[in-house]
Amino acid sequence: MWMALSYACWCISIVLALWMLYDWFKVDTTYSEETLTSSREGELEAVSETHRI
Amino acid sequence: MTVTAESAGTAVNGDRVSLLRVLGPAHVWALGVGIVLVGEFTGWNFSADKGGALAALIVCWIVGLLYTSVAMIDSEVTSTVAAAGGQYAQAKHIVGPLMAFNVALFLVFAYTMLEVSDAILLGDTIVAKAGVEGLTHNSFIAATIVVLAWLNYRGVLMTLNVNFVITAIAYISIVILFFSVSPWTQGAVLKLNELVTPNNALPYGWIGVIAAFQFGIWYYLGIEGTTQAAEEVRSPARSLPYGTMAGMITLLIAAAMTWYVCASLMPWEYLGITYYPLWDAGKLTGSPLLENLLFVATLLAALASANGCINDAARAWFSLGRDRYLPSWFSAVHPKYRTPYRSILFLLPIALAFAFIADLNQAITFSILSGVLQYTFMSINIMMFRKKWPLGTIRRGYTHPFHPLPAIVLFCLCVVTYFAIFLGFGSQLIAMTIFYFLISVWFHFYRYKFVRRGDQFTMPWPKPQGY
Amino acid sequence: MPRYTPPEQSKAGQIFDIAVVVVAIFVALWLPLKMGLAGAAKSIDALDAKTWEALGQNPTMASIWEKLGYTPETAHDVIQNRFHYVIDWPTLIIMAAVLIGYFVFLFRASDREYRDVIKEKFDDK
Repeated sequence: MWMALSYACWCISIVLALWMLYDWFKVDTTYSEETLTSSREGELEAVSETHRI
Repeated sequence: MTVTAESAGTAVNGDRVSLLRVLGPAHVWALGVGIVLVGEFTGWNFSADKGGALAALIVCWIVGLLYTSVAMIDSEVTSTVAAAGGQYAQAKHIVGPLMAFNVALFLVFAYTMLEVSDAILLGDTIVAKAGVEGLTHNSFIAATIVVLAWLNYRGVLMTLNVNFVITAIAYISIVILFFSVSPWTQGAVLKLNELVTPNNALPYGWIGVIAAFQFGIWYYLGIEGTTQAAEEVRSPARSLPYGTMAGMITLLIAAAMTWYVCASLMPWEYLGITYYPLWDAGKLTGSPLLENLLFVATLLAALASANGCINDAARAWFSLGRDRYLPSWFSAVHPKYRTPYRSILFLLPIALAFAFIADLNQAITFSILSGVLQYTFMSINIMMFRKKWPLGTIRRGYTHPFHPLPAIVLFCLCVVTYFAIFLGFGSQLIAMTIFYFLISVWFHFYRYKFVRRGDQFTMPWPKPQGY
Repeated sequence: MPRYTPPEQSKAGQIFDIAVVVVAIFVALWLPLKMGLAGAAKSIDALDAKTWEALGQNPTMASIWEKLGYTPETAHDVIQNRFHYVIDWPTLIIMAAVLIGYFVFLFRASDREYRDVIKEKFDDK
């Protein structure tokens, strides 16, 4: 039973790893690099919270 | 055809893709306690190895004080500098870019090595339970790391919901164990007075207590990780201090219960070397139900911790990319799941590689070293923060009391911990520090030229005093 | 002060930088393992008489060891495997020097960079 569990673990790992690689490839080819790396630090602070003491 | 963010029905923040603000205080608690709680299931007990059972209790309290300082200081700074990367963003705004680069590396190392320890623990626990000839821990390690990376890849809300549930179960199992061994009567199941005697309470004397500090850190290491969620919490100024403090209280209670039950059930020599103190405690009660409960709880605690670590390490790495401290390629956010997916994927094989080559003890020590370097930074950081922006000059979500006492306490305890690491693990500390020094030189003299100067300072604050 | 414009880094340069960091991480973590520097400095103080009394275990402790599947012979290597806390002054001094030197460099170099950041952020506007 434990051996079967061990093989199942390998299978799950491989399937999920492949899925992530596939999704990564899909996302990187669908969206432009500018869109993907457009996150900026402190954005919310500047937009939604007016800074008062 | 290039699909724009809007047409895909996601990522609405102007035309930018940013992390998603979905978390509440319970998630912050789950992230903090989830990472740390595994320390009660393994790791803290190595402090008994270094100093005896009583030393383990003394450091549990004194290191608890260290971490209470950490939590207080961290809550103040992070409720003001609320950005992914946590202490990294703090360092960048308060001390300077090189410090920030180092802090991010401390974070990535501490969390990745902690994740590695968790995966090894999980694999070893299953192998020990199975007791089957030829069964190795590799498949379980791989599954742990890959499945959790996948969960993190798919979104932060689900990741931390899962963490909340499994952390709560693991925590409750400690409480159940505590109450089922009738802690109010000694002698029935618990035999503290026969196991911890005046002769063996401090087998190495007081130097053993100091030496034990090193693994005493493991009772709480990682609670400061709550700040990594700053950019994904709905109301960081409120949720982060609240979740962190609640987490610290939870952990102090768990640590005290864990010590009491374990020290009352096992001789310190065994307690100091076992990898599963709580599972062993469950076994020694003689109840199969408790044994199985603690077995499952050990696995869940390891999972929760590794899960939180992947979350935190990826955010720190992501922030490095976003400021171009490392290639900006890493700062990509997944347009659908809104996670730093490239950072998650990049750190996955590194964690796997170390999980296959290192052993538990070593991985834990690497993690502790990076943690202590970071706490040293925090104690100086808060001093500089209060000096550059005194109270009243900027809005703080939370102001910690008794300043500068917590900072001084934290700094002194860090010095003691360095000495503790020196006792037994000194050469490893030197090797690590030299690594950080060399990579700092690389950053300062080469890599920093790719970084935009003024853009790094993103907080809407006035100019710091003295500049 | 003119605004600093960083050079654009080529793809190859980016990949090279990532490689440098990865290699550095592996060297820092893996080399101590290989050189045997990692891990605890413990050694066994062997005893001739392998009984529970000689190992300093009272009857309660002995019964727990037995419950855990140990005999005095197998427990001997566990119980007598001890740390020996001798303060090796040269190593301690080296360690302190390395740590202090590292932090001093860190804070001084950071401060130099930080002044540029503040200047560009607050003086240009």
